[in-house]
Amino acid sequence: MMMRLLKVDMLKMKRKGMWFLTILGPVGVIALQMVNYGVRKEYLLEQSNDYWGYYLKNISAFTPLAIVLGIVILTSFMASIENETNAWKQLVALPISKMSVYLSKFTALSIMLFLSSCLLMIFTLGFGLFLDFNQEIPFLEVSQYSFFPFFAALPVLALQLWIATVSKNQGIPITVGVVGVIFAYSAFTLPDWMIWKWPSLMNEWDDPTINVWLGLGVGSLLYIIGMFDFKRRDVK
Amino acid sequence: MEYIIQTNNLSKKFGKELAVNGVDIQIPKGEIYGFLGPNGAGKSTTIRILLGLMKPTFGNIAIFGKDLKSERINILKKVGSLVENPSYYPHLTAKENLEAIRKIVGVPKTRIDEVLKTVRLQDAANKKVKGFSLGMKQRLGIASALLNKPELLILDEPTNGLDPSGIIEIRELIKSLPEKYGMTILISSHLLSEIDQIATTVGIITKGKMIFQDSIEELRMFAQQHIKLKVSQHERAWRALLANGMKAELEDGHILLSDQTDQHVAEAVQLLVQQGISIYRVEEDKKSLEDIFLQMTKEELAG
Repeated sequence: MMMRLLKVDMLKMKRKGMWFLTILGPVGVIALQMVNYGVRKEYLLEQSNDYWGYYLKNISAFTPLAIVLGIVILTSFMASIENETNAWKQLVALPISKMSVYLSKFTALSIMLFLSSCLLMIFTLGFGLFLDFNQEIPFLEVSQYSFFPFFAALPVLALQLWIATVSKNQGIPITVGVVGVIFAYSAFTLPDWMIWKWPSLMNEWDDPTINVWLGLGVGSLLYIIGMFDFKRRDVK
Repeated sequence: MEYIIQTNNLSKKFGKELAVNGVDIQIPKGEIYGFLGPNGAGKSTTIRILLGLMKPTFGNIAIFGKDLKSERINILKKVGSLVENPSYYPHLTAKENLEAIRKIVGVPKTRIDEVLKTVRLQDAANKKVKGFSLGMKQRLGIASALLNKPELLILDEPTNGLDPSGIIEIRELIKSLPEKYGMTILISSHLLSEIDQIATTVGIITKGKMIFQDSIEELRMFAQQHIKLKVSQHERAWRALLANGMKAELEDGHILLSDQTDQHVAEAVQLLVQQGISIYRVEEDKKSLEDIFLQMTKEELAG
């Protein structure tokens, strides 16, 4: 059943430009570095002896912003598909459980974000090789900087999906989303407990895996709360 | 009798207000059940509860003899529905819209062409629904409801917003379904004339309460007919009729004869003529179902 629902959600995403956004995110992040390194490569190489490390730091300055922004836009698109003509009443009157409807939406969004992360890794490696640092490629760090923000951002995804699916007024998820993007942008100054800081992989212990575990844990919790709230509510 | 839908004391509260108040619906198999009531009477809420979209505050529901609360998914497998304004995905074509439902209900792909043919949308199958007229969207909604060959079809205001030819078309389609496929149909409307033309059983709801539930023939019985006479000196004419043992009523300067046989009318007219009373009009006064409906709902408001 889950597979079928997921296929249906993929069908509904047709012509919505969601896949385009999925690709645009990582392309945008790397494009910024193309400009950065294109304009002042010499200067940037002088900043550190660890060329790859410095390059990854530059990239990771924008990844959290791109991922939070992407989450806000994709969840609101996802909810708008059903909200536009109140198709919820048609969907929920079909012989499926409301929980699987919610799970399918969450899964579809996760797949897109995961794909974005994969692309980010490929583009990071690609442009890194093009820059020709002549140093050993730090595959572990590259994959960490590509995938850790995704896991650390799961709470934001769960929260946005929850708000977007249960709000009649789509201004609410957008407002929360915009505030979240601002938070993600100013992650440096945020306290560690705020979920919008986590995709930046910063914390006072300097251990990004903490953000990943927190992301998975709190993400699951928010997902479960959102799903049960969605199940509990009447479809108007 | 086998009931497809049977509710018991069904109630739904929104805040403090009772939108549905102790409704007992009984729909026998193979009937077209007309669910009638003014706007805001609680029809849509009742239908949403029957489809499991809303949870009742109290009361229970059995559909196909199974409890809705515990067997919702199994019940919904045999139910097709269209709730109020049609829901659709405007950026998808008619075919894709149906495919999105077909994948979930799990019927063969050929069903899509079949239902499109049934609602006569086959020519627009590959057009985006965005550009459809309201009538076409409504027909697509019905097509979606028919996709899983339901045993119970629930249609909430299916002719809302359609033009007269669209209404006739949908009506003919709905009428043909019980015979062709053995479906039981629940159709709601705020227009009595609409229900009058297709329903075999009627339930009237107002202010969340069921005030009438029986066959359409029973409802028509309320539409008692009279012969209305307009005469000069109606007071005297009325007394003359009563003096001769004829049942007559005086109402707004008219005389109403409840016995409408030709012979009786002839005798009454003859008597009045002999009394020297001028007769201006003899006409049949048919109380329309609309009047009954208004009267019923008004009484309920007063009470």
